[in-house]
Amino acid sequence: MNINRPGRSGAFGGRAAGQAEGGITAENLTKVFHVSARRPGRFSAVRSLISPQRVARTAVDGVSFQIQPGELVAFLGPNGAGKSTTIKMLTGILTPSSGRVEVNGLVPHRERIANARRVGAVFGQRSQLWWDLPARDSLSVLADIHGVGPELFRERVAAFDRILELSAFWDTRARQLSLGQRVRCDLAAALIHDPAVLYLDEPTIGMDVVVKEQVREFLRDQVENRGRTVVLTTHDMTEVERLAERVILINHGQIVYDGDLSTLRRNHSDTDEPDGNADLEDVMRRAFGRQASELLGERAESESSTRLGGTGERAGAQNADKPQAAMSS
Amino acid sequence: MSEVALNPMTGSGAPQAPLRTLADGRQSRRAWRAARVTVLSEFYEWGRVASTLGMLVIRAALTYWLWQALYATTKSSAGLDSRQATTYALLGVFYVAFRAVNRWAARDNMVQHMLEGTIAYWFLRPVSPRRFYCIKACGDLGYGACWGAIAYIVCLTTGVIAPPVSARAGLAALACMALGLVTLYYLRLLIDLACFWTVVNNQLVIMYEIVQNVLAGALVPLWFFPAWFAAFDRLLPFQGTLNVPLSLYIGRTPVNQFAGALEVQALWIAILAVLSTLVWRRASARVTVLGGSDDHDDGRGSRTRDPR
Repeated sequence: MNINRPGRSGAFGGRAAGQAEGGITAENLTKVFHVSARRPGRFSAVRSLISPQRVARTAVDGVSFQIQPGELVAFLGPNGAGKSTTIKMLTGILTPSSGRVEVNGLVPHRERIANARRVGAVFGQRSQLWWDLPARDSLSVLADIHGVGPELFRERVAAFDRILELSAFWDTRARQLSLGQRVRCDLAAALIHDPAVLYLDEPTIGMDVVVKEQVREFLRDQVENRGRTVVLTTHDMTEVERLAERVILINHGQIVYDGDLSTLRRNHSDTDEPDGNADLEDVMRRAFGRQASELLGERAESESSTRLGGTGERAGAQNADKPQAAMSS
Repeated sequence: MSEVALNPMTGSGAPQAPLRTLADGRQSRRAWRAARVTVLSEFYEWGRVASTLGMLVIRAALTYWLWQALYATTKSSAGLDSRQATTYALLGVFYVAFRAVNRWAARDNMVQHMLEGTIAYWFLRPVSPRRFYCIKACGDLGYGACWGAIAYIVCLTTGVIAPPVSARAGLAALACMALGLVTLYYLRLLIDLACFWTVVNNQLVIMYEIVQNVLAGALVPLWFFPAWFAAFDRLLPFQGTLNVPLSLYIGRTPVNQFAGALEVQALWIAILAVLSTLVWRRASARVTVLGGSDDHDDGRGSRTRDPR
């Protein structure tokens, strides 16, 4: 993706040249969770109740990267790799155990209010719409929370409507919306305050092909025409192929690849495939072995793979018994 | 692939230009308009409005008949006549209506946000979670107060309840009730904040409701309890939320004793405000919303905890 994007105009504010708005820096970002683990053996439940065993789990282990303003980066990895935890540290929801994180020149977990003005997020099927309100009312309330005036609100919602076709269902209460409709409204909700950075944690999970394509078109527009930085986690490789030029692969809490998609393809293509034309799902299968089924969102038994090189082996040993659901990405 | 191919960093993470402005840390006043969510949510669900109305009417009617029956054979009990006792009990019912909003049905209470992981969005708004909770509570209170006020006016004009013994007593009761609502807000906030440690707080809410209703005099007026109990209860924050304002209203407590009750309430509000600030700070540092589609439970009975 290009780094220099056109300035935003109209309902969306412009950006001053030379500012780092939209830039993300992570240095040695680490997150350790303490979990109470159940002991093996008879009466384990009672023993764990009386004397719980606390175990430290490293969900993210020394992750470093930098994302330039206006980039769309796909953050990929199997379940429990640490993608969502990393994103939640970037948003400021989670406080890192160690390391440095800066988004838009701010430390997100320390400057939450200022950070919230510049970032938006959609966390999979978790909706921020009010269950009993029509989607438009929820958007209006969120606009108030973000201090967006009524005129700007109308302009922005109209702009979202042009691609996401929200007007067809925005008078329907959130509880009655289909998944695809709800996520489209959530995308609008995440962008109502015109943030420079957008985090999307599996936004298209469970959607049909038509709606997925609509969402992709919307995201392309946000990056190419609005100059937003987008960090996307997904199990859908078609999405990655259509949207991202740069991918960050994470496994066992560590980055195992950070670069452009074509290099990744070239490194993992079969000899009889022309360079850069390898199917991305095949590339992931070759890169992650059996763990690729998790990365691709397929139901399969997960087995740790050490095919991703030196760092993976160490992390694999460290995280071999990591509870998958707790750390699921 | 065997090598880690990190994207070239410009320098070693050179600090980006800070973009703070004076307005950055300021929380938008427009955010208070979000308090309308309660009214909108209820009005889109007419079933809930009807059930709130039905509940209020049934409770008021049963309470009225109960106290009429209790005073059928006596003119005075514990120094109160039938009208005073009925007024006290009915005002108690209307006061409880202030908390009539069914947040559970609207999927908008703290437990549900914790369980579903949507609490994450509270930390992604330019309004602190603490203020957002307050805005929500004000919306709930405003909505509940409308119900209470309508019921009060209806009962007062039909002569079911008595007006305050004097204008001064009415004003003192109103002031005391306002402080009582602030106390209730902080108590409920602390119960909700427990979700950051326990995820669910249902049992805690039940315990709190029982203690609150008994010690505030909502179930039985406190003058029916032994003197030592009343003396002990006077030091707690509960009595000021119901018994004190209603006693002032019906003339059971003289207005000149109002200052003492006010001091106890003000002290409790200060204590609870400081406590809730500290607890919010701890809760914000330990919020753990995990996973793209699942959270909290790792499937083996253990829950993740932020070590901080």
